[in-house]
Amino acid sequence: MTDHDATTLHILNKHPDHTRFRACLDAMAPGDALLLIENAVLALADVAIPLPEVTYALQADCEARGLSAHRPREVEQLDYIGMTHLTDRFPRLISW
Amino acid sequence: MSFPERNNEGFLEDAWQWDESVAADIAAESGISLNQDHWEIIHLLRDFYKQHEMSPPSNRLFVKAVKEILGEDKGNSIYLMQLFPGTPAKTACRIAGLPRPTNCL
Amino acid sequence: MSATQLIVIDTPPYGDWRGREALDMALSLAAFDRPVALLFRGEGVNWLRPGQEGSAISQKTVSRNLGAARMFGVAEVYADSLALERFAVNGPDPEAEAVVPNAAFYGDFSQVVQL
Repeated sequence: MTDHDATTLHILNKHPDHTRFRACLDAMAPGDALLLIENAVLALADVAIPLPEVTYALQADCEARGLSAHRPREVEQLDYIGMTHLTDRFPRLISW
Repeated sequence: MSFPERNNEGFLEDAWQWDESVAADIAAESGISLNQDHWEIIHLLRDFYKQHEMSPPSNRLFVKAVKEILGEDKGNSIYLMQLFPGTPAKTACRIAGLPRPTNCL
Repeated sequence: MSATQLIVIDTPPYGDWRGREALDMALSLAAFDRPVALLFRGEGVNWLRPGQEGSAISQKTVSRNLGAARMFGVAEVYADSLALERFAVNGPDPEAEAVVPNAAFYGDFSQVVQL
């Protein structure tokens, strides 16, 4: 993982068809990172959704939905401790 | 091992804490002494739970599941009522260590 | 038109109770031997993805719950073919028949229920 000084981590828990899902993607600045949790991890299955270059997903939510073993696209999956460490590294968080 | 935790209606909190001696103890509370016929249904319910992660939701669906697996001779409410008095689905699920059927009163 | 009632599930499998309630409704109809079918549409097709493990988030695995539907008499399980493609669901677990849910499709049911 790279250093994320002066960027924002966007934590998104809405399913892909929720209006706030699109609002989150629209609000991302270059260099921002995205963390997908809960139903937002379904976006990993839909390759048409333009995810930012730095995207993480919570592993437990992927496992529950069958998106851990066979995943249509690769992003780094974090456990709960990894998620906590990630949030520590960003000066700014936005929960969607 | 202490007796597994149960809710206020006597159903196990965790279906995986069940074993046959637990079943015998719960059955005894209702005055039921388990025989081969009971065990056949109890193991059917355990298998059903392993596969589907749920109890048959109602008495009718309990009867239907038994009928589907063991045929009409055993998949009828009179037979199951004789083995598991009261509401057969509730009594049988309680003894088999499964969660309370959701749609049984 | 058949006498079959169609129950539609268009919500994701976890984090929303509507799908579970809709499945419960389908099973209740089946309990009374009423002809009933299920359609997974939109994000609901994620119910059909293989390899789910609800225990990772302390929940029951809905695809396994769904597996009981056929035994209980839900004869037909359909899935929106475009949504299957969109979410890269390559079943069959459990099996569903891919369909295009258009007017002709819905027209075959006596009632269409969506929660």
